[in-house]
Amino acid sequence: MEEYTREPCPYRIVDDCGGAFAMGCIGGGVFQAIKGFRNAPSGMSRRMLGSLTAIKTRSPVIAGNFAVWGGMFSTIDCTLVHFRKKEDPWNSIISGAATGGILAARNGVPAMAGSAIIGGVLLALIEGVGILFTRISAEQFKNPSPPTEDPAALGDPSSFSFGNPTSNNKQYQ
Amino acid sequence: MSDDYLRKPFSLAPAPAVDDPQTSASGNYTPATSTFSSAPVSPYLNYDSRFLRQAQPEFIFPEGANKQRGRFELAFSQIGTSVMIGGGIGGLAGVYNGFKVTNALNQTGKLRRTQLINHVMKQGSGTANTLGTLAVLYSACGVLLQYVRDQDDNINTVIAGTATGLLYKSTAGLRKCALGGAIGLGISSLYCLYLLSQESNNNTNSSPKFL
Repeated sequence: MEEYTREPCPYRIVDDCGGAFAMGCIGGGVFQAIKGFRNAPSGMSRRMLGSLTAIKTRSPVIAGNFAVWGGMFSTIDCTLVHFRKKEDPWNSIISGAATGGILAARNGVPAMAGSAIIGGVLLALIEGVGILFTRISAEQFKNPSPPTEDPAALGDPSSFSFGNPTSNNKQYQ
Repeated sequence: MSDDYLRKPFSLAPAPAVDDPQTSASGNYTPATSTFSSAPVSPYLNYDSRFLRQAQPEFIFPEGANKQRGRFELAFSQIGTSVMIGGGIGGLAGVYNGFKVTNALNQTGKLRRTQLINHVMKQGSGTANTLGTLAVLYSACGVLLQYVRDQDDNINTVIAGTATGLLYKSTAGLRKCALGGAIGLGISSLYCLYLLSQESNNNTNSSPKFL
């Protein structure tokens, strides 16, 4: 990911949608490969075939769901950035909840509420972990605090005098 | 600070002290620069800022950077674009098919609305998934080729397009697999020919981005 930086806002939607689709396609492919392998009838070639069939049929659907989630999330995030004029964790949490709600809109109000809560909590967790990691990594780079220089520890300033042999300061040499 | 230092002759002597309240409050304050005023502190600190050219735009030229973005940077936006285009096309086709089916079955009202939404969702997601999967395959092949061959050119595009066609139809039998590969080869080579013709036409320095 060394050459991947986030795009500015309106183009970020396309980028996030594509990233989510790629993630869903590859991750769903791996997941469905294992699932198809386990659920197929015995015999190595049949297991391979089952795994392949599962990848072919299921992973584009998973990828599509991911892409819809990512695109909707990014759209709401950008809308919130536009209207609130700031980017903070609340944006992500609100847009996660709204995405969950909107995408469950055809399943009725209780399902919408449940999905919205799940989306919000999920995004809050992600943001929280992100903030936590930032804190931890920032702790590493903190400069050590300089030693306190308290002039009172040196004692009475009147007893010090430089270049005056008559005073009662100690001889170090 | 005004610009009047530009009109005065440049001298090493410190500027006349501004009478600010802090120095007047502490009576026996002597400016630290007064002891050093005869000798220059450092040649870098005594530089006349008139020699600095200021009215020109300054650019930082990244040395060793590529002229264009790599394939990996473009991959996500490509995939996203194809998913969105697929969704749009599929959605429109779904609206058309939905109207046709509901008119043929004489469905009206709530039933018709639900059926229309069903059609749009189904066709839209289907087309989006197909196009998106193709884009993922193409991008993966392109990124792999770029890393293996260590350069980014038209040959990568052609190979990646052919490989995408072959891979996408790889489970449908040899004939269809070859057909898919041929279609991929055709589309990618047409695109490359278009790029090459454009490049030779305007013959500018800005080379087009490889998709």
